[in-house]
Amino acid sequence: MATSEAYMRTPTQQAWRRFMRSSSGKAGLLIVGFFVLLALFAPLLAPYDATKDRNLRERLQPPSVEHVMGTDELGRDIFVRVIHGSRISLRVGVFAVAIAVLFGTILGLLAGYFGGKIDMFISWLIDIMLSFPSILLAIAIVAVIGPGISNAMIAVGIVQIPIYARLTRSVVLSIKEQDFVAAAEGLGASRSRIIFQHILPNGLSPLIVQGTLSIATAILDAAGLGFLGLGAQPPQPEWGLMISKGFLYFTRAPWISLFPGVAIMIAVLGFNLLGDGLRDALDPRTQR
Amino acid sequence: MTAYAIRRFLGLIPVLFGVSLLVFTFIHMIPGDPAVVMLGERATPESLEKLRKQLNLDKPLFFNLEAALETKNPAALFESQYFSFVGRVLHGDLGQSIFTKVDVATELRARFPATFELSLAAMLIALVVAIPAGIMAAVHKNSWLDLSVMTAALVGISMPIFWLGLLLIYLFAVNLHWLPPSGRLDVGLEFHPVTGFYVLDGLLTGNPEVTKSAIRHLILPALALGSIPTAVIARMMRGSMLEVLNQDYIRTARSKGLAERVVIWKHALRNAMLPVITVIGLMFGTLLTGAILTETIFNWPGIGKWLYDGIGARDYPIVQGGTLFIAIIYVVINALVDLSYGFFDPRIQYR
Amino acid sequence: MKRWIIGLLALSLALGVASAQTLIYGQSDLPKTLDSSDAQDGNSLRVAYQITETLVAFKPGTVDPIPGLALSWEASNNAKEWTFHLRKGVKFHDGTPFNAEAVKFNIDRWNDPNNKYRGNKQFVPFTWVFGGFKGDGSIIDRVEVVDEYTVKFYLTDSVGFFPNMLGASYFGIDSPKAVMANPEKYGTPEVGAVGTGPFVFDKWVIGDKVVLKRNDNYWGEKAKVDTLVFRGIPEPASRLAELKAGAIHIANNLSPEDKVTIDADPNLRAVVQKGLNIGYLAFHQKNKPLDDIRVRKAIAAAVDWDAIVDAFYAGLGERATEFVPPAMWGRDGNIPAYTYNPELAKKLLAEAGYPNGFETEIWYMPVSRPYFPAPQPIAETIATYLADVGIKATLKTEDWGTYLSDYDQGKFPMYMLGWSPDYPDPDNYLFTFFGPTSIKTNLGCESAACEEIGQLLVEARTAPDMATRQELYAKAQRMVHELTLSIPVAHNNPLHAVRKGVEGWVPSPLGSSENLNLVTVK
Repeated sequence: MATSEAYMRTPTQQAWRRFMRSSSGKAGLLIVGFFVLLALFAPLLAPYDATKDRNLRERLQPPSVEHVMGTDELGRDIFVRVIHGSRISLRVGVFAVAIAVLFGTILGLLAGYFGGKIDMFISWLIDIMLSFPSILLAIAIVAVIGPGISNAMIAVGIVQIPIYARLTRSVVLSIKEQDFVAAAEGLGASRSRIIFQHILPNGLSPLIVQGTLSIATAILDAAGLGFLGLGAQPPQPEWGLMISKGFLYFTRAPWISLFPGVAIMIAVLGFNLLGDGLRDALDPRTQR
Repeated sequence: MTAYAIRRFLGLIPVLFGVSLLVFTFIHMIPGDPAVVMLGERATPESLEKLRKQLNLDKPLFFNLEAALETKNPAALFESQYFSFVGRVLHGDLGQSIFTKVDVATELRARFPATFELSLAAMLIALVVAIPAGIMAAVHKNSWLDLSVMTAALVGISMPIFWLGLLLIYLFAVNLHWLPPSGRLDVGLEFHPVTGFYVLDGLLTGNPEVTKSAIRHLILPALALGSIPTAVIARMMRGSMLEVLNQDYIRTARSKGLAERVVIWKHALRNAMLPVITVIGLMFGTLLTGAILTETIFNWPGIGKWLYDGIGARDYPIVQGGTLFIAIIYVVINALVDLSYGFFDPRIQYR
Repeated sequence: MKRWIIGLLALSLALGVASAQTLIYGQSDLPKTLDSSDAQDGNSLRVAYQITETLVAFKPGTVDPIPGLALSWEASNNAKEWTFHLRKGVKFHDGTPFNAEAVKFNIDRWNDPNNKYRGNKQFVPFTWVFGGFKGDGSIIDRVEVVDEYTVKFYLTDSVGFFPNMLGASYFGIDSPKAVMANPEKYGTPEVGAVGTGPFVFDKWVIGDKVVLKRNDNYWGEKAKVDTLVFRGIPEPASRLAELKAGAIHIANNLSPEDKVTIDADPNLRAVVQKGLNIGYLAFHQKNKPLDDIRVRKAIAAAVDWDAIVDAFYAGLGERATEFVPPAMWGRDGNIPAYTYNPELAKKLLAEAGYPNGFETEIWYMPVSRPYFPAPQPIAETIATYLADVGIKATLKTEDWGTYLSDYDQGKFPMYMLGWSPDYPDPDNYLFTFFGPTSIKTNLGCESAACEEIGQLLVEARTAPDMATRQELYAKAQRMVHELTLSIPVAHNNPLHAVRKGVEGWVPSPLGSSENLNLVTVK
């Protein structure tokens, strides 16, 4: 019987089973896995030093057998650069979300657990941050701390803090009311113990789902900053920056902008699919 | 309901106060100083000092302790850059650009209709495409139609807008010459705008040519800007519809032998729309205020691009006034969305 | 009778269509202001130049001074006093008569920092050309109205090319009445500008376009079109796209590499303008180790400048060896180009104590300029060559306005910059780059040799005869080359394009002084 089988499994195994049943989850895992492998092994596949790469004789070549994605305005092979771009974009996505999750969760825990004045103040901060469109806020942050890929990462991360703060706060509020927390409190467990041993693990599922989807957004936002010249700086093979450089040549050599855009799209698609799949797996109440 | 609405709007005041504080702090943290930018290469310390004084940049940022001690008047504490900015805003004066001397309010009046028109067009495209697509996908769950709608939607949220914009220009403007690559109107057209919404103005002034040209210019940027809302709304619509279709009263309606068409369009859609309307409202707020990339690529004379340039040039009044304006629009729309719950779903009680 | 009416109607219709001619000009931005003496960018000046006129003009497409609002001029007292005889019977667009009082009003407004009609404006370009404001470095001491159509300028020093300076497009003469009405808002979209030029300000739709109408009372050759519209389209590729789509008639400053695209399009015609610009890479010596001449020479030798010019100027630009372009006098003529020699570069670096190179920054402008049509790829290429010899150069940029105010602060170790002249004289190049103040602030050089270069240029400014000036400029440039203070990269002949049927358009080597009244659209 399926039910008794399910009963025998740990929650993780159940989730994994549900995940493997979701076709979007599998597709997402496949794409994300592909990009992770690409990022890890890019230096072995095609060793590359962006600071020395130029080949002025081969400038603006259309895609060919030799250069499958063509060459750019410095005669650099776009294929090689797109591959190495995966290292930058994945790193930015993961770290930006890590920043957001870290600070967002702390704020949300504080607000949700302690309530009162602390909650009011934190909610006020969150409301202020949410009064700006995210791209504008990111631009303003980069304007203050200066352009560059690490700063763009920080900016994109900060912009996402409110999402996690709100999420964590609502999770804490709902769990706080539940019996097992009250029991722990009654048994004299310390507050930090309650937060870290009881509340946090229970709120993990929505955080994981949201985190995966946020990586997708972070990659897109960082590419947007790169396009505006506020993110990665040349000669880094960052996808958004590559698209913006292609703008100057796009009537003549559209492939310069085309392929990095395709790469962004597929990578972001991968994280979105994976997020959908994880939601199916971890949050079975949601309807498909 | 009214009491709730009043409370909801009063709640915006501390948020907007915080926004003004944040914007002000931010812009003054940006390295560089408009006086230096203005005077350029041959600025002398004296001329810089004079200009800073003239631009009111010599006062302290938040509290003028010095003046207060000197005049022994606590009110002088507020003779600072921040409080004079807030004071002016409360009098409806957003200041004027340091560099072009144009009033921020004048720029907003000229540019906001452009942004609004573009957002509206993008949202229109999104609704027309996404709502039927989402419904069809839900009704034919797990069919090839569902699969392709959902795949398209996922691709839609995964595309960088600026890249999609470039592709659209390359394809439809540069190569096929079907649509214009940038701007709001054919330049040769002569007419006097009434509202600033060119599609509407063309009709109001009896200039069908203007309306036609304005629509032609709108299509590409609206497609690019509308890609994400289309995708999000389609997904939302499908999910919400599925949830409703599983509920008892729909089963009852079906068992009563009502035609499937009636069940879906009359009974299910109404309830399924509620969460979708929320998303539409929130998305519209984002469109209105976050179209910087689209405006850059299509050279659209809206507020996004102007604000972005203002940040680069350290044009304090533009950034302060412009951002505050955007924030107001954004939070007001969000508040209206909140209130609309009650309107669309009478079960919700506001306390 | 009926037929007669119909015939008249048809005729008037035909005339109506024929006379409603519009010329649409696509440039990289809309103006910032139409108050020309407060405008620091070519896009503002190009528009303002159609409305307001200068006392001295230039023959279209050249740098030969011709009468503008002044018919003739002469110097006295060793070029310290200049008398200008003004054109008679000219009226501003608002009906105010143009006369000596109007000229004095304008000059006083710019020159006197306490003038009450300045409207809180900085008039920075005035200080570029004349050295400062009255009592603070300005070479103009005072202006005197001799009679209704004669003005006399009293200078603090002899300046032989003073009329050329007045011809710079910053110094369009505005209607005193219009300025006095609203000095602060004069030149903004709400108020516009009032001059004597071939076009009258009509309207400025913020963020969209500036519309000018033909001045039917113009004293000179009346405009061939009724309406002149300026649009701001930042990206060169978008300007070309608009031109191809037929939405504009003229697109200026295109990417040189698009010449092929233009030539292949039967509806377009490429216009290559003889340029007088210079693009260069400067060193700011406040940043170690760029104060070491061996390091600067190593950098000059590490980069294949010829390959860069070949690649990014698509055959339209030429390699620069001096800072004054070949079409201008005041050159030495025999200064050799820096040649590509990475081995020499490594050797020099080792001698200077940096056998493994060092870390530095290259700053490039965020916008394409006539002298650097593709600044970012050029900077990237330079950096790769430097990487070859071990120098790790980080690429940086910032907002263009901020860039222009930052490069002389010593914040940029190496920076790309360039120049299109305001007035045709070697002084306008060399004094700007290497004058006594600039050489210190822009290049951070305070050595005795740099002091000497500055002094040579001061001397050349006031030297009475051409031969002396020529020799002084040649000598200064030789010293700049020997010291490798900065590296001249290219003189570009900017690429523009027009729709077929647009005739009579001659771009100006001075950048913005174009006579758009001569252009016809078929």
